[in-house]
Amino acid sequence: MPLLIRCSATFPAARLYYTVAMNAPTDRDLILRARRGEADAYGELVTRHQTGVFNVCYRILHNRSNAEDLAQETFLRAYDRLHTFDLERDFRPWLRRVAANLCLNYLESNRPAAALDDERDEDRTQSPSEQVEVRERSEQIRAALASLPPHYRLVVELRHYQDLSYDEIASELKIPLSDVKSHLFRARKLLAEKLHAPD
Amino acid sequence: MHLTDEQLNEYLDNASTERLLLEAHLASCDECTARLSALQALFTALDSLPEVALSTDLAARFIPRPSPVPRLPRWLIPTAALQGALALLALIVTAPLLANRMPPIETPPLTETLLQLQARGLTLLEAFTSFQIPALPQLPSLEISSLVLSITLAGASLLWLVGNGLLLRKPLK
Repeated sequence: MPLLIRCSATFPAARLYYTVAMNAPTDRDLILRARRGEADAYGELVTRHQTGVFNVCYRILHNRSNAEDLAQETFLRAYDRLHTFDLERDFRPWLRRVAANLCLNYLESNRPAAALDDERDEDRTQSPSEQVEVRERSEQIRAALASLPPHYRLVVELRHYQDLSYDEIASELKIPLSDVKSHLFRARKLLAEKLHAPD
Repeated sequence: MHLTDEQLNEYLDNASTERLLLEAHLASCDECTARLSALQALFTALDSLPEVALSTDLAARFIPRPSPVPRLPRWLIPTAALQGALALLALIVTAPLLANRMPPIETPPLTETLLQLQARGLTLLEAFTSFQIPALPQLPSLEISSLVLSITLAGASLLWLVGNGLLLRKPLK
């Protein structure tokens, strides 16, 4: 932020961005307005968090269509529970945990396994050869994640991408601490084997 | 004796209660250091996974679309014009009848009007000075045929009610 402030003194565009960022309503403001029935406010929350929530679902499900459906379901579920949300907490991690739990429920249901996407991750800031390398490596990681049992996937998601502690994961999934550790350590072992195995 | 997988995992998760002990062992054990590096590489690989863009806007479902501006149905404009024309026709038809029934209005010349105004002013002044309330003029009696008047009023009211009823109807979606 200090860098941004220094830039804002020199560049009008940066100053404008800084002003807009400072005046943007917080998640808490938007939640309060959404609770009063302002649909626009909840729409703004969805706009802010939809990519993050979608990526939670995509990492766990590895299927774009299902991930988008579950992300949509996450926002519907969160809206229904908005009145119970503790405003002292951060909205983003709460929302992502709702998404992760929905994905686990989805995987544990008796639905037939959906076909995995063959979509490749892209980074247009890199050269074409680097992009190919990143895409292939990302696909390897996603495929390895998708090969894990549902509970293992979820524990990896909560630990690595949502930065929860062992105790927080145990509380969130309502499982013993020992199970959290065994799921996580075994998942890492399986992932390492998958990622280091020769093609 | 080497470190267990659990110890290495907890060390990288910052969840170990024996951190200094583990670091002392790692400083002197190449095998455990290599295992730790491999595990660290997995962490780095997971962290490197880029975010994927959404193909649809999920917010669209939650943001209400602005309701379209209500438009008058096409048939309403000629109906309103017809209503105006019929009301004007009714007025033209009934005007001679009303004129025959109403007493003629005489328009006296200006000087006579001024003299009358002066006389009324003097009368008013005299009334004020004598504190007497002037008698109210007697209203002329209206002798309009009740049948004609009723038909006219009923027709005009019917046109008015039907026209306004059409205008105030909710626009069709």
